[in-house]
Amino acid sequence: MPDLAYFAFLVADGALAGSIYALVALAFVVVYKASRMLNFAVGEWTMLGARTAAAASHTFGLGLGGAVAVGCAGVVALALVFNRIVLRPLLQSSLLSLIMLTLGVGILLRGAATVVFAGIPGRIASPFPLDPLVVGGVPLSVDKIVAAAIATACIAALSWFFHGSRTGLALRAVASDQQVALAVGIDLHRHYAITWALVGVLSVLAGTLWSFVSGGGFGIELLGFKVFPIVILGGLDSLPGTIIGAFAVGILESLVAGYVDPIVGGGFSHVASYLVLIATLFVRPWGLFGRPDVERV
Amino acid sequence: MLEVEDLHVSYGRIRAVQGVSLSVPEAAVVALIGANGAGKSTLLRAISGIVRPRRGAVRFRGENLVGLPVHQIVRRRVIHVPEGRGMLARMTVLENLRIGGFARRDGPSTAAGLERVFALFPVLEHRAGQLAGTLSGGEQQMLAIGRAMMAGPRLLMLDEPSLGLAPLVVREIFRIIPRLTAEGTAVLLVEQNARMALQCAAHAYVLQTGQVVLSGRGADLLATPEIQRAYLGTGEAS
Repeated sequence: MPDLAYFAFLVADGALAGSIYALVALAFVVVYKASRMLNFAVGEWTMLGARTAAAASHTFGLGLGGAVAVGCAGVVALALVFNRIVLRPLLQSSLLSLIMLTLGVGILLRGAATVVFAGIPGRIASPFPLDPLVVGGVPLSVDKIVAAAIATACIAALSWFFHGSRTGLALRAVASDQQVALAVGIDLHRHYAITWALVGVLSVLAGTLWSFVSGGGFGIELLGFKVFPIVILGGLDSLPGTIIGAFAVGILESLVAGYVDPIVGGGFSHVASYLVLIATLFVRPWGLFGRPDVERV
Repeated sequence: MLEVEDLHVSYGRIRAVQGVSLSVPEAAVVALIGANGAGKSTLLRAISGIVRPRRGAVRFRGENLVGLPVHQIVRRRVIHVPEGRGMLARMTVLENLRIGGFARRDGPSTAAGLERVFALFPVLEHRAGQLAGTLSGGEQQMLAIGRAMMAGPRLLMLDEPSLGLAPLVVREIFRIIPRLTAEGTAVLLVEQNARMALQCAAHAYVLQTGQVVLSGRGADLLATPEIQRAYLGTGEAS
């Protein structure tokens, strides 16, 4: 492949992966915005999403759409129960204990998934053709294109939801200041529940899409580690920043994997995004699009 | 319309409000004055459901509000503008106003509500697209009141609206109060600026260490020597 086409291939491939990263990162950011809680179990939730959809597909013989729908119903229900039974009583406790809790939940989900889904294939077979589509001399896998298209549509829907709907406006108010949200009559518990329902849906979508493109084998829960460089780079509390950060990290990983990994012997692409994370923390700790607090008093 | 009966509120072992009773008639302005830490803000927080009283009742149009969650109380159009104004700093002025009407599903449309607020505070219309955090203190206070108006309040509780504002701006803010009552809204006003508060209040209560020590018509209290000495800085020096 000529140099330029190879570069274009790497960028496109990275962007396609980035679109799925964006879904996972959004699941992380909506929780952070609503409750300032860092959900370190976001990778495990994504894994759970993928496996629930896969289980629905294999045990009920459902097609892709049906499996995702059943998967969503299941994971959303679990997320709501988790929010109601575990998080709600802990609402007054320190953020640190909530964060520790998410680490525990991650381990629990990982362990429980191996037991509950024992013997059930972990992924849905991709319904899309295996031959890559060649666009301008750049070969792109159909799986990834479809996954990216779905991911992008979800991102667009989510952006509309946050900026165009009444509930979205309320969620942003909760994110901005809980006391004020209360004072204007927003039921916080209800909106935390909506947030966790969103996490459930995003987990199933991101997990299922990732299981198409990664070809299985790769532990989906590791996807959670991609989230940190993304949200630090984009700005923890910025939805557009998160999306841009996700694409940036996807493309960066792909370029590093294409150009640097062959030289240093592989694996450096996973490190590269963390180097970016550290650099961001030094230079612009609030991220590219997050804002340091603006307030005039 | 609002009857507070023998209300007690504690924070742990600190008794912030100890047996306060007061009433706010329909479309009236009632002021609550007192020094820092007298329990004024706590009283408002108890009425709006943010803190739960240890004892006593808050009756609004005959219904006891104690124990209701905050959003349920807001739905009854008892609206609290907290001290410090509570801006959604990173949202626009317009979004702040829209969110004010959140609890209101019935009644006039958002557009009609916005029109009303902009008529009272034209500066907010000019700044509609600006982030609330970038407004000046006076503009933020106007936004806080405007946002409360979007909820169509029957009872509006203002906590220290004059705090940190220039006298001219304070007058601008207080100018609004008679307009609100003319539209049928009752106002419960907590103020350290006692003169301003007593001038516009039909009735006032003086709070001291969590108890009502004095009450009466605003104008009468203005003329009371103790009030002049303690809160107005006139009369003989203490």
